[in-house]
Amino acid sequence: MDKTKDQQKKLFQELLMPELGALFRTALRMTRNREDAEDLVQETTTKAFSAIDRFEEGTNFRAWIFKILTNTFINNYYRVRERDKLPSLDEMEEESAFQPAFEGISPEQALLNTLTKEDIQKAIDVIPIDFKSVVVLNLVEGFSYKETAEILDIPIGTVMSRLHRGRKILQKLLWEYSSSKNSTEKGKKEEWTAKKQ
Amino acid sequence: MDCKEAVEKLFLYLDGEILTPQERKDFEEHLRICRKCCDKFDFEKNLLNLIKSNCLDTPLPATLVNKVLTVINSF
Ligand SMILES: [Zn+2]
Repeated sequence: MDKTKDQQKKLFQELLMPELGALFRTALRMTRNREDAEDLVQETTTKAFSAIDRFEEGTNFRAWIFKILTNTFINNYYRVRERDKLPSLDEMEEESAFQPAFEGISPEQALLNTLTKEDIQKAIDVIPIDFKSVVVLNLVEGFSYKETAEILDIPIGTVMSRLHRGRKILQKLLWEYSSSKNSTEKGKKEEWTAKKQ
Repeated sequence: MDCKEAVEKLFLYLDGEILTPQERKDFEEHLRICRKCCDKFDFEKNLLNLIKSNCLDTPLPATLVNKVLTVINSF
């Protein structure tokens, strides 16, 4: 039996609303600004409802709508020139030489203690898109390797290798942010000590 | 399981993607006897949780809810 338009809208709304927060924060990490993120979510809504006949009830709506979101982002929001602004992958993947030195705690604990929400979001924002999408879908939104592969239309092996490299890039950035903060702190302390003397 | 294998399995375990219960057991057993891998695992787990919680903590703008409802009702 075909559903009426109103029934369809009601069903769609029930499926969509619980995912709206996740769609928005994913859109925000991808577009890197709130205005584009809101537009991307609205455009995703339009596309999804237009294609709702193709969604099979009882299957994974979350994966289905995220696929529409990521496709819409790549097609309409992602500009290739953005690549130019990013540091090269080789540069991003070099092992980080920085390790914050704190008295009495390990560098790892120091890293965990100093990172702020802004550091983490900024780091994800600058990861190249192929790696960022896997990092966000998998690490943040909790999609499995298999679901991530379906959303991005890539083999599972590719998801795993991009996730591996994405994690490496992300960690390197986080070590650098933490380290620069630590050296600023250290600088301030030295300045203060110098003044006192 | 040796350290090399444990390091290879670490992220699969963390991501909940380890295939068999036996593999999980072997991995956990190695962490019990190896301080180095155990520390590495704790760090990666804590870092992952930190990344996750800080990203999930992004409020949904109330205006967007209304905009989305408008989109649906425009059909
Ligand atoms: Zn070990």
